[in-house]
Amino acid sequence: MRVDFELIKRAQAGDNAAFNEIVLAYRKRILGTIMRVIARREDVEDVAQEVFLRLYFSLDQLRTAEVFEPWLYRLTVNAAYDYLRKQRRRPEYRMSDLSEQQVLMADATAGGKVEHDDQYQKKIRESVDALLGAVSEADRILLMLKEVEGLSLKELEKIYQVNENALKVRLFRARQRVLKAFGASTKGKEPARAG
Amino acid sequence: MRGSQDDQLDALFRAYREACATPEPSVHFMPQLWRRIESRQSFTFSFRRMANALVTAAVAATVCLGVYTTIRRSDAAFYSQSYVEALAEASTIDTDLVAPARLEINQAPFE
Repeated sequence: MRVDFELIKRAQAGDNAAFNEIVLAYRKRILGTIMRVIARREDVEDVAQEVFLRLYFSLDQLRTAEVFEPWLYRLTVNAAYDYLRKQRRRPEYRMSDLSEQQVLMADATAGGKVEHDDQYQKKIRESVDALLGAVSEADRILLMLKEVEGLSLKELEKIYQVNENALKVRLFRARQRVLKAFGASTKGKEPARAG
Repeated sequence: MRGSQDDQLDALFRAYREACATPEPSVHFMPQLWRRIESRQSFTFSFRRMANALVTAAVAATVCLGVYTTIRRSDAAFYSQSYVEALAEASTIDTDLVAPARLEINQAPFE
């Protein structure tokens, strides 16, 4: 826990300075999680702000300190899910289009010189993003939290408020779908892309 | 059973984690957040004010209707009448226009 419950209590009582401290303590972690879930740098701050906005208006519902972090994660998951759903409804924002824009922006900022590492990392991001197109937005987030964020099943149980077995089944099915897409892509086929 | 593809996928996820480095928050992060909070607060406040006004109006209308109904029911004459009396009172126009029928029994039928 990065903050003590006293600080949360003060924020619940309407102390904006206390809320500011909570945001400062968690914002980097939340930004990192959102970055890995949505993989779009230009929208990460917007989604993170939405998380803290929801936190501000629902803080009075929090009863115990132990549930604060899973609860904040749940808000993050919900905000990321809403974002991904909106993105799916807007076909003009495809990964390939955005990637071109990102490359152009990177070119412009780096004076036309793109590092080899950046290209490699961009390729990795695109590959995983394309693979995750094989599963729903909800399963994509779940897989990200488990496989990339490294959260345990116990932690996920607290966030999703469902039992461990149900989570295991869901994770297994999602992973199987991703594996199938991965197998197809390694054989030279284009994996199914969402949108 | 985990196959080689499982391991490759795990490696890809690890590489993805490294490729998605945590971005540094911009200097506008906190000011923008507070601006959004304030704008949501003002919207909530005006919505709450509108809801309060509607509730007050509904309560006032309920009280007025209650008072009106109570006054009407307290009219004793209204309830002391029988059904026929009430009906007769309600159709006074008919009784004025249509005279009661009279039977002249002493009169010869065809004079």
